[in-house]
Amino acid sequence: MKSSSPPHKNSIVPPNKENWIAKNPFEEFKMFTACTPDLPMDQIVQSTEAVMDRIRLGYEKLLEQEAKELVWMVQYNTIIKAYEVAEKYVKELDYTAEDIEDFCFALENSQRIPYLIPGPAGVYISALCNYATEEEIVLKLSELKTEINLIGFRLPKGKRLMIEGDTGDFTGIGLEGGDLVIDGNAKNWTGAGMRGGKILIKKNIGLHTGEWMMGGEIYVGGRVRGLGNIVEGKVYEREKLLYPGKVRYPNSYY
Amino acid sequence: MGKNGYQKQAMGIYRFISEHLYFNRPDMVVKGERFNSAILLSLLTGLKKGKELIIGEPGLGKTTSAEYICSLIYQFPLGVIWGSEVSGHPEQTEEKIIGRPDLGKLNRGEEDVVWTNFAQIPVKIVDEINRLPETKQSMILDGVDRGNWEYLNEMIINEEYCLFATANYQDGGTNTIIAPLVDRFDVMVESRHPGANLSFLVGKDKRKDQILRHPKYERDLYHVLKSKTPYEKKASKIEEVCNAYGEYLDEATGIKSFRRQDRDQIRAEMESLELDLDASAFTRMLLAELSFCEWYGQKRVVENCEEGCHYTGYLCRQIKNCASNRLPSSIKQYAQGLAWLLEDSEIDIEHLSAVVPYALGHRIQWKDEILSQKERSKRDDPFPIFLAKEAVKAVSQRYREQSEHLKDALAAGSKIFMGGDLEPLEGDHPIYVEVKKDTDARRS
Repeated sequence: MKSSSPPHKNSIVPPNKENWIAKNPFEEFKMFTACTPDLPMDQIVQSTEAVMDRIRLGYEKLLEQEAKELVWMVQYNTIIKAYEVAEKYVKELDYTAEDIEDFCFALENSQRIPYLIPGPAGVYISALCNYATEEEIVLKLSELKTEINLIGFRLPKGKRLMIEGDTGDFTGIGLEGGDLVIDGNAKNWTGAGMRGGKILIKKNIGLHTGEWMMGGEIYVGGRVRGLGNIVEGKVYEREKLLYPGKVRYPNSYY
Repeated sequence: MGKNGYQKQAMGIYRFISEHLYFNRPDMVVKGERFNSAILLSLLTGLKKGKELIIGEPGLGKTTSAEYICSLIYQFPLGVIWGSEVSGHPEQTEEKIIGRPDLGKLNRGEEDVVWTNFAQIPVKIVDEINRLPETKQSMILDGVDRGNWEYLNEMIINEEYCLFATANYQDGGTNTIIAPLVDRFDVMVESRHPGANLSFLVGKDKRKDQILRHPKYERDLYHVLKSKTPYEKKASKIEEVCNAYGEYLDEATGIKSFRRQDRDQIRAEMESLELDLDASAFTRMLLAELSFCEWYGQKRVVENCEEGCHYTGYLCRQIKNCASNRLPSSIKQYAQGLAWLLEDSEIDIEHLSAVVPYALGHRIQWKDEILSQKERSKRDDPFPIFLAKEAVKAVSQRYREQSEHLKDALAAGSKIFMGGDLEPLEGDHPIYVEVKKDTDARRS
């Protein structure tokens, strides 16, 4: 009877057959799993970005509601209304003074913020400053190419806002007792309708300064180009009292 | 590891040489310990069966440092080591280096070889190798590479050997050591001036050579070496005399030298040490920079970098030649030796950073603009080692910046290699391209 066992296969087996298999050149990293350490800086960046997203969202809502077709007329009513809208969003945010400064730069540099309209932007920044927890806020805006209007709108008593750089029109209007310091120039209508507090402009100031001003003081380190119709309050030019004082006609050029 | 006390024995030898025989200043720090590079690397060369090129000004102890190390690690009296050295000069012949015909037997019509001491003993010291013609340099390095010494139709095989070659800086009497030959040396180190104060003491102690001499054992060893017995039988007799000399050393100096089985055990322990993940990734990163060329596929000494290449900030842009496959082997060997000596359980980046400049210095051919930029830099080291140290610092910095990402990329490479369906990680370094090339090759 024939054996049913299969014929012998090649008995010459290579001594170490696994050596013939292509070696994985990354073998030792097979079990490596990246541990991504939670770096404090990462956390800071993440939380800053989250805050910035929320601030940006508020600004976009303001634009949607108040600057339809990208037109925004500076009128007393529109400013009040815009501020109310801004207030509504800002009140619910948790942010710091540094976030406000970051937002100012994001306005100009980030692609994520579609438009910088100086009026609503100023109202929004003012609302951010007025509702910030810090009593003293410093915004370094000297690198900004755009001068923002309406900075310091309704700055309340007990707050001190310092701006490094120039500001646009309507700086410090409706000031409500706060201290506003501009380390630069300010344009027209500065301090219009302010009720109390102090505005210090270290360089020059434009026309209609203190228009319908009801109280408070404006100090100008440089020259005042023209005064508005002031009801009450004081305006100094280079430490010299300009109003009330000898007749200085509104918007007289000198 | 470290239970058998071999590391302490090795450090004992290091200290004995450093304090009594070879005046020196420490010039490197590894894990807080200060070492003299010439003694440390020579010690590792002896223990790892390596090949070391010692450079330096004449009379600064290049040859003597190697002799002391060899005497204490291999238990050979100094007189035997002197008698087995090959000195480099243009008229040096194969007969004086390897072996010659046995003239007595030749007269009787028989062919036999009388092997030189150099070919027979494990310790091979070539003095002033760059004064040898290139053919003779090549002959020695070939022999040491393979451990075979051939003459006429006969051959002896050294199972254990190490090579120390010394070279003066270029002067009228020297030849160059050509690049392929230089590449065969695992490390290059400088034997440096010890400073005026230590140098002043050198002449005062005239008997220091005598410590390692022993006329009786020297005669015994010469007798064995010139005997007509087959080499394999001689080896065991040589070992016997060496062990006796080792006992004498222990009694006379308190220094415990290594027996053959000790050395084998030490090598086995060293071999078992592996690179940790960071050390492995760092070495890969270094090798990538020394071999990568995006434009021409790899570095070649005959090709120049193209303008507009993306990888301008890496070593590949600064060097002419490509790293050989001997480089990683040398790095690993010496890093293993150092980690073993320091009683560490793995090779880490600090071990690597300490040895890499010495494995790299003689192998890199820098571009002329780099040489002229850095030639006058303030430094302590000879120029090639200084440049290598700078290169290692630069790569270490790059590694620190992206170590996690690189390890991720290598881990992803491993998964792809094992058949995983994922894409290799991108990154701004040649190593990522190399990983991609390997994984692409595997996929195709």
